Amino acid sequence: MLKTVKQVMLAGSMLAVAMTAASADDIVVGSAAGITGPIAELVAPIVAGRELAAKHVNEQGGLLDGDTLVLAHADSQCDPTAGVDAGNKLVNIEQSVAIIGASCSGATNGMVQSVTIPAGVMSISDSATAPSITELDDNDLVFRVAASDAYQGVALAQLAINAGYTKLAMTFSNDDYNAGIASVFEQAFKDLGGEITGSQMHEPEKQSYRSELSTLSGGGAEGLALFAYYGSSGITIVRNSLENGLFGKFLAADGMFDTSVIEQIGADALRGNIMITQAASDDANVSYQAYAAAYGPAYESQGYAASAPYAAHGYDAAFLVALAIEKAGSTDRAAMSAALREVASGPGTVIRPGEWAKAKAAIAAGEDINYEGAVGNNDFDANGDVTGMFSVNTVGDGEGYTTDLIR
Amino acid sequence: MEQLYGYFLYSLSLLTFGGIYAILCLGLNIQWGFTGLFNAGVAGFFAIGAYVSAILTAPESPRHLGGYDLPIPVGVFIAMVVCVPVAWAIGRVCIRLRSDYLAIATLGIAEIIRLVFKNELWATNGARGVSFVPKPFEAWDSPWDQIAMALVVLVIVALLYIAIELARTSPWGRLMAAIREDEPAALAAGKNVERFRLEAFVIGAVVMALGGAMMAHYIKFVDPKMAEPLKATFLVWVMLIAGGSGNNKGAILGAMLLWFIWSITETIAPIIIPDSFAHVVYPFHLVASWFLPEAWMATPIAPDPVTGLDSWDSKAPFLRVFLIGLALQIVLQKFSSGILPEQRLQSLADTDDASARAARSSPS
Amino acid sequence: MIDLLNFHIIPGLVLGSIYALGAIGVSLVFGILRFANFAHGDTMTLGTYITYTFIHLTPLYGIVALPLALLIAVPAAMIATGLIVLIIDRLFYRPFRNSPVIIVVIASFGMMLMIRSSIEMIWGPQLKAMITGIQPPWFFFDTIRVLPKHVAILIAALVLMGIIHYLLSHTKIGKAMRAMADSPDLARVTGIDTERVVKATWMIGTALAVAAGVFLALDGQMKPLMGFSVLLAVFASAILGGIGRPYGAMAGGLVIGVAEELSTYPWIGDGPLLSPGYKAGVSFAIMVAMLIWRPNGLFKGKVF
Repeated sequence: MLKTVKQVMLAGSMLAVAMTAASADDIVVGSAAGITGPIAELVAPIVAGRELAAKHVNEQGGLLDGDTLVLAHADSQCDPTAGVDAGNKLVNIEQSVAIIGASCSGATNGMVQSVTIPAGVMSISDSATAPSITELDDNDLVFRVAASDAYQGVALAQLAINAGYTKLAMTFSNDDYNAGIASVFEQAFKDLGGEITGSQMHEPEKQSYRSELSTLSGGGAEGLALFAYYGSSGITIVRNSLENGLFGKFLAADGMFDTSVIEQIGADALRGNIMITQAASDDANVSYQAYAAAYGPAYESQGYAASAPYAAHGYDAAFLVALAIEKAGSTDRAAMSAALREVASGPGTVIRPGEWAKAKAAIAAGEDINYEGAVGNNDFDANGDVTGMFSVNTVGDGEGYTTDLIR
Repeated sequence: MEQLYGYFLYSLSLLTFGGIYAILCLGLNIQWGFTGLFNAGVAGFFAIGAYVSAILTAPESPRHLGGYDLPIPVGVFIAMVVCVPVAWAIGRVCIRLRSDYLAIATLGIAEIIRLVFKNELWATNGARGVSFVPKPFEAWDSPWDQIAMALVVLVIVALLYIAIELARTSPWGRLMAAIREDEPAALAAGKNVERFRLEAFVIGAVVMALGGAMMAHYIKFVDPKMAEPLKATFLVWVMLIAGGSGNNKGAILGAMLLWFIWSITETIAPIIIPDSFAHVVYPFHLVASWFLPEAWMATPIAPDPVTGLDSWDSKAPFLRVFLIGLALQIVLQKFSSGILPEQRLQSLADTDDASARAARSSPS
Repeated sequence: MIDLLNFHIIPGLVLGSIYALGAIGVSLVFGILRFANFAHGDTMTLGTYITYTFIHLTPLYGIVALPLALLIAVPAAMIATGLIVLIIDRLFYRPFRNSPVIIVVIASFGMMLMIRSSIEMIWGPQLKAMITGIQPPWFFFDTIRVLPKHVAILIAALVLMGIIHYLLSHTKIGKAMRAMADSPDLARVTGIDTERVVKATWMIGTALAVAAGVFLALDGQMKPLMGFSVLLAVFASAILGGIGRPYGAMAGGLVIGVAEELSTYPWIGDGPLLSPGYKAGVSFAIMVAMLIWRPNGLFKGKVF
């Protein structure tokens, strides 16, 4: 019995250490992400984006009176239960001023409804795209820098029509992200006069999709609209299609946008045959260039590219939270959402990624600021959503993607 | 002060989650602990409870079946009722399977149930889930809403505990134990063994549905990921075995303790792993990287280029899962019959303990 | 109709032979040690990552072609993974030889988490590729198309199954394994060194798991959850063949693999017979049906 008591005390003391880890000069911002789980490979570069923003803040004078911005990470596992648990830890133990995340729409839905909205903590997601988040009764506490599926699906449909496609087959992975964007695309493509010759959902993480693709290819489609995460089923589907000559042309949304698609399939097979829409990544945009110039070299050794899906969103979300804290002039949770709206949209001094010192000086001088982020202007609408801007990526002459902004 | 208040709120969430898992554990204890039914399909009944209650109580939505706006207790009750015929049908065909066979069959059925919820978009919105599920007392001010939610769950756990304890010592419970310990004798005594087993299976499943419904109302959201076997079946099994199967106190303790470990390790994992450990490993990696292609190691064990933190920090979530696995092994080896072992009924304790256990354990 | 062969039956056979290799291991472990090993899928993954590392470690990397590198790396990885599994058995399974089955099942569940998280810590969650680029298929009679890697996988699987058949029927250790699967007590009485048999079981089961994992990576993706994602199908194959029966497991794997692919063939009308969303459910449905109506498996299996 005594031994048990000792063990309990030991555990307790470890806990105490854990809980006093943040010192008085640290300002903690929660960072909930699906670090483990089904899209772990997508989440790692996004978290790196958040870290990069924190680094820029801390290198250029820090928050408020030189305080350090500390990101407290919690694993939302892409699962609503884990999302709620992660939110609870970030809000209550870490005493986060605001929360970035969570990654998946399901985890975000659980976390904000069960924890952060009741607690009055502002959250800003960098990759949850489900339209249902728009409808939340959130007291203006839930924001996202990732555009709702409702926008990207339409953008892709328009792109397909412009590229001359009239008949497409489509397949989508049955998960919270891809199923959402696929249904928007299907409707939009039909509305624009296109024809969907066959639409199938597929279960991710299977080893072969040849049978599904063979059935789909029967309808005389000109190409395949593919909604999947590259790691879960996307690359396998492209490979199965090309190897068997079932489909030669692909249209995809940003779950497919990753350099590993080119690495694994080969640039030659994809040249001129694939179009991937992506939120942001306008190579010509000054803000994006500023972000990419910082992200690229820093994470090259880890194998993360600046253009990785939602990595730039991760950066913007973290940078915006820092700006909101600076603008509010305190770590008062209640002041965050109003301050966020002020710094995110104009009018005011334009601040771009990496320009923390400039922003800090401007806020200190009482000026209005307007953050023009790596993924767009980040002007939130009444629901805390952004319209987003989209680019289309194709495989051009080189070994990588060629990116063009969709106007 | 705010920090202390934060701990208080967090402990409420620990109690609520732990309590919901305790409900699931108690349900499993009826099936495994008392009757010896190796049900590996907890997730299936959990999903039925969660989805039925969520759909019945959520506001109308164009994305899924709904708009019934029933009060929460009614939704929970109907979810439990719906579970009865489903569990009865599953039990009817599977109950005579022994041991691992029953486990694998129920595991498969639970996966099929999950696939149905995932694929029947018209009813459940598929992978995108059912949102806006009401939470009891959510209109109250903090912290009263959270205290009330935790209390509701704990009261349910307490009521279930009392009810199951009463049932265990009743003639019904004694018969269950007798069937588990010595089935041929029970058969010889003219008891309809299969019927009693089926009863235990259905009652356990209904309790699991109750747990699922409570989870849906607590999270305010349901999607098929919540019913994946890892968290909705295996974790419950681990809790029950660690706590002590056959012992209701053990089931509750196991659920609370394991959830506490599952949740809190995330906060302490980066701290209990000394940074210096990375410095021990780093030189080896550095030497290796001189003559090995970079490609085969995904992330070098080196400080993160941006944060300057040891990359153990970014690996903490994986390490945490590893530690949970290791902790489980240690619990199994140190407390092989659980932290609180089963207290056998007096009438049965007379039989040779060792032989009874051996008979139960050997699969033949 | 030719589509049925090209896109359903042949891929189904490839998938099926991968399931079969995994199922033999599950079946052997169940027969000898009498527990369902939940860590088997992650053993597959571990073996694949070790193979991957060996390929890149081989001084010949970049000089020899991939098939040759695989011929060297896979056997080495089989031995390395087998040794790791033996250590795992010694530390985490052996203490429970005489405990209730559920305890060791839970231990294997814990092991599953430990192996998976180790892979994520060492190699990272990022995707890896065993093979890159697009392989054009070979054509036979102008209509039948087969990918070279599928031919290789099928041949390799057949060879491995042949070796297993020889091991089980013609060697002393193989006969001892079968004897122990049939009746552990009798085997002990007749002086069979049970721990040696257990070791052999782990080595053989793991070797096949490594092969299955590598084939999986050649045909699809290489990621930390790859093995776990086929685990339930592998269990289904083992059950279908009659658990504890390695030959049955081979047949079971092939049947499940082909059945999964055939379920989405447009038998009636133009659409797939079954929504591909339910594809994963096919193996479970077959498994449950078998358990209920023919619990001994397709072939005479054991009922424990």
